[in-house]
Amino acid sequence: MTALSRTWGRLTLPGKIVFTLIPLLAVLTAGLIAFIIVLGGPIWDLILANLWFIRFLVAATIILVITIPIAFLNIYLEMKVIALMNLRVGPDRVGPWGSLLSVVHGLKVLIKEDFTPTGADSIVFTWAPVVTYGAAVMTLLVIPFAPGMAGQDFNIGLLYFFAVGGMGVVGLLMGGWSSFNKYSLLGGLRSAAQIISYEIPLTLSVVGLLILAGTMSLNQIVMQQSGWFTDWYVFRQPLGFVIFFIAATAEANRTPFDLTEADSEIVAGFATEYSGMRFGFFFFAEYVNVFIMSALTVVLFLGGWNAPFDIDALVNVLNGVVGAVIPSFHIATPFSIALDPGSLGIPLLFVIGLAPLIGTLVLAAPFYLVRSSMRWWVALIIGFVLFNVVAGGLTFAWAYVSFDWVAGLVWFMAKTFAFVFLFVWMRGTLPRVRIDQLMGFAWKWLLPAALLNLFVTAAAVVIVGS
Amino acid sequence: MTTTAGPHQHASADDPRVMLDDQIGAFEPIPPYPPRTEREAEFYTLGDGEMFLNMGPQHPSTHGVLRVVLKLDGEKVVDLDPVLGYLHRGVEKLCENADYHQVISQVDPLEYISSLFCEWSPVMAFEKLLDVEVPRRAEYIRVLSGELNRIASHALFMGWFALDLGGLTPILWSFIERDEIVEMLAALTGQRMLFNYFRIGGVNGDLNHDFMSRLGDWMSRATGQIESNLTLLNENEIFVRRARGLGVIDTETALSMCMSGPNLRATGSPFDVRRAHPYSIYPELDFDIPTRSEGDSLARYLLRMEEIKQSLRIIDQCLHQMPDSPIMAKLPRLLRPRPGRAYAAIEGPRGQYATYAISDGTDQPFRMRIHDPSFIHLQSVGLLMKNNLIADTMAVMASLDPVMGGVDK
Repeated sequence: MTALSRTWGRLTLPGKIVFTLIPLLAVLTAGLIAFIIVLGGPIWDLILANLWFIRFLVAATIILVITIPIAFLNIYLEMKVIALMNLRVGPDRVGPWGSLLSVVHGLKVLIKEDFTPTGADSIVFTWAPVVTYGAAVMTLLVIPFAPGMAGQDFNIGLLYFFAVGGMGVVGLLMGGWSSFNKYSLLGGLRSAAQIISYEIPLTLSVVGLLILAGTMSLNQIVMQQSGWFTDWYVFRQPLGFVIFFIAATAEANRTPFDLTEADSEIVAGFATEYSGMRFGFFFFAEYVNVFIMSALTVVLFLGGWNAPFDIDALVNVLNGVVGAVIPSFHIATPFSIALDPGSLGIPLLFVIGLAPLIGTLVLAAPFYLVRSSMRWWVALIIGFVLFNVVAGGLTFAWAYVSFDWVAGLVWFMAKTFAFVFLFVWMRGTLPRVRIDQLMGFAWKWLLPAALLNLFVTAAAVVIVGS
Repeated sequence: MTTTAGPHQHASADDPRVMLDDQIGAFEPIPPYPPRTEREAEFYTLGDGEMFLNMGPQHPSTHGVLRVVLKLDGEKVVDLDPVLGYLHRGVEKLCENADYHQVISQVDPLEYISSLFCEWSPVMAFEKLLDVEVPRRAEYIRVLSGELNRIASHALFMGWFALDLGGLTPILWSFIERDEIVEMLAALTGQRMLFNYFRIGGVNGDLNHDFMSRLGDWMSRATGQIESNLTLLNENEIFVRRARGLGVIDTETALSMCMSGPNLRATGSPFDVRRAHPYSIYPELDFDIPTRSEGDSLARYLLRMEEIKQSLRIIDQCLHQMPDSPIMAKLPRLLRPRPGRAYAAIEGPRGQYATYAISDGTDQPFRMRIHDPSFIHLQSVGLLMKNNLIADTMAVMASLDPVMGGVDK
C-alpha cells in the first residue's frame, strides 16, 4: 500500500485526473448499461430515436481512444526500425522485443513534472498541445477504415480533412509563441511558414483526382477504386500522387522536412519548453499525423480498404477453368464460407471442449516422439502454442472471408503501415533540408507541377469525356 | 533552508526557495557589465528587427561547450560572438608543474578524439631538448597507431557533420568504425580514449598479438566498409546540396587566418607538415597529399574521406616495413635536459599540432606552449558563419572539425 500511495503522490495533477477519471468512467458506463437493461422501455425508445447522435458520439470516442495505440505503435515502429537501420538493437527490455516501451513512455510523460517557464503565457501555453492533438484526432473522423467503418461519411470529407488538418499549425504556433523562448519562437514560425506553403501543393495535387472522381466523400472515392489494383487512382494520377506524398511529408513535419524540431539547429523547436503530458500531446500528435497522412494517401491513391485483387473475378476464373473439366464444379460468388454453429447442436459442445485437447496432443506428439531429450510438458506447451496459432489462423481466415470489414481493415492497415514504414525509412536515411531550399522546393517545383497535373487532367477529361 | 531574494528576484509560486528573475531582459545573453571594447559595444547593440540567440554552451550540437551568441535577422545570422573558456583547465600551466614524463598524461585529453597526436608533438619537442635518437621500430609504431587514430577521428567527423545536417544514421555507422579502431588501440595501449602511449624516446609497449589480429581483421574489410559508409552521404542529393558552397574560404584568407590541415588543403594549398617539414619516418613512406580547390564544407568533408584512404596506404606500408629493434631509447629515469628551447610540429587530423618547450635545466619544462589547430580554426568561424542561415552555422562549424577540449585547453 505504501508503494501505491507513494506512486500516487508522485503523479502530477493531469496524471491524477487521468487515473481518477478512467476507473470512474468505467464504473459509470457499467452502471448506465445496467440501468438501461433494468429499466428498459422508454430509455430504449429515446436511444433509438437519437441513434445518429449516439452513433456519432460512439464513433468520436472510439477514434479519440484508438489514436493512443496508433501513436504507441508508430513510436515503437520508429524506434525499432531506425535502430535496425542504424545497426543498433533498439528497444528490447520492456515486453517482447521491447514492444511495451512506448506504453512505458506514455506512463512516464504522465508522471513527469509539468513545467511552465517564467514569462510564458500560461493559458496559450497550456492550450497549444490540445489544439494540435485535437486537430489530428478530428481529421481521423472522416478516414474510412473499412466498409461501413468511418467516423462520419461527409460528402465534403476531403475539404473537411484539409480545413481541420490545417488547424494543427495553429497549435504549433501557439506553443512556439507562448513558450517565451527564442528557439520555440523560431520553431513555431518555421512550422507556420512550412505548413502554409505546403498546404497549397497538397490541396492542388488532389484537385485532378477530384475531377476524375466527381466527389469529395472519401468513402465514395475508395469505392470507385474497387476491383483490381489497376483501378487505383495512383495509376491515373501518378504525378499527383508524388506531389501529394512529398507535401504530406512536409505537412506531418517529417524528415527531410522536420525543420520545426531540428535538434541540431533550434534544440527542439516549438516543443523546447514543454515537458510532461503537454509534451506528450505534441509527441502523440506528431505520430498520429504520420498515421493520418499515410491513411489519406492510401485512401486517395491506393484504393483504401480494397484488396489489390478482385476475389470474385478470381473465383469466376477458377469456375471457368475447373468447370470445363468437371461440369458439376461451381463456387458461388460473392465467395463466402457459411458457418452455422447452431445446426451442430449438442455435439458442438464436444467439439469446443475436445478440439483444443486433441489439437494440442496431436501437435505435441511429433516433438515428443522425435526428440528423446524433450520433456513431456515442454512438448505439451509447444503443442498448445502451435494449436493456438493454427486455430487463430483458421479463425482469421474465416473472418477474412466472411466479413467485409475484417478484410477491409486488414488491407487498409497493411497499406497504411507500409507508408508509415516509408516515413520511418526516410527519417533513417535523409538529412534535413534548409529553410530556403524547403520554400524554394514548394513554390518553384511542387506548385507548378501540381498546376500542370491539374491542367493535364482537366484537358484529358474534356477531350476523352468523363 | 531558505534563500533570500536578490535585488531583481522574486520567489517562485511553486517553490518559495527558488528565486526567479524579475526582469524578462535577464534572459538576454548581454553581458552584465558595460562594454569593454568597441567591438563589444557594436555587437551588443541591436539594430532594427534583430535579436540575439544564445547558442550553447548546452546546445545539442555545439561540439562541446562552445557558446556562440548569434545576432539574427529572422533566420539570417547578421553577426556572431563566440565565447570561449567553459572547458579551460590551464593545461599549459599544469604541464609546467609536472615533470617531463607526466606531461604526456596532462596533454592527452586536449583533443580527446585524437589523443595520440596530442602526445606526439610534446614528446618530439622533449626529444629535441634531450637530443635522443628514437629507435626505428618505435617510430614505425608511432606512425602506425597515429594513422589509425587519424582514421578514427575522420570517421567520427563524417558522422558529426551528417548529424549537424540532420542525418541520423551516419553517426552510428561511423561510430562502429571508430569503435573497432579504438578497441584495437586499447589492445595496444591499454586505454580506449586517452592512450598515454608515447614516451620520451619511444613508446610504452610493443605490438602484441591481440592488436595485430584485430588490425588484420579490420584491414581486410576496412576499404569496403568505409566505401559503403560514404555511399550513404556522397550520393545523397540533400546532403550534397546543403554542403556545397557552404562556408567558402580561399587560400589567402585561410593562410591569413593561420589555417592548416584538411581545412587549408581543401582550399587548394598542398601544405602538409608530413611533407613540408618531414619528421619521423614519413619521408620513407609513399603517400599522396590530396587537395581540393573549392574551399567549401563539401570539399573539407571529401578531403578528409580521401585522407582516410591515404592513411590506409600508410598503415599497409608500416606493417610491411616494420623493422626489428628496441622500442625505447636508453634514458635516465629522471630527465634534466640542458637549458634551451625546442619546437616540434606534426600533422594531426585537424591540422598542425605544435609544441614549443623551454627548458631551464630542471626536471620540469620552464614554459610549454601548445599550438592547437582547433583553437586556430575557430577564429575563422566569424568569417564563415556570417550571412548564413541558423541551420548552416553549426554545419559550418562541424566542417572545421574543432574539439573544444583543445580549444579551451
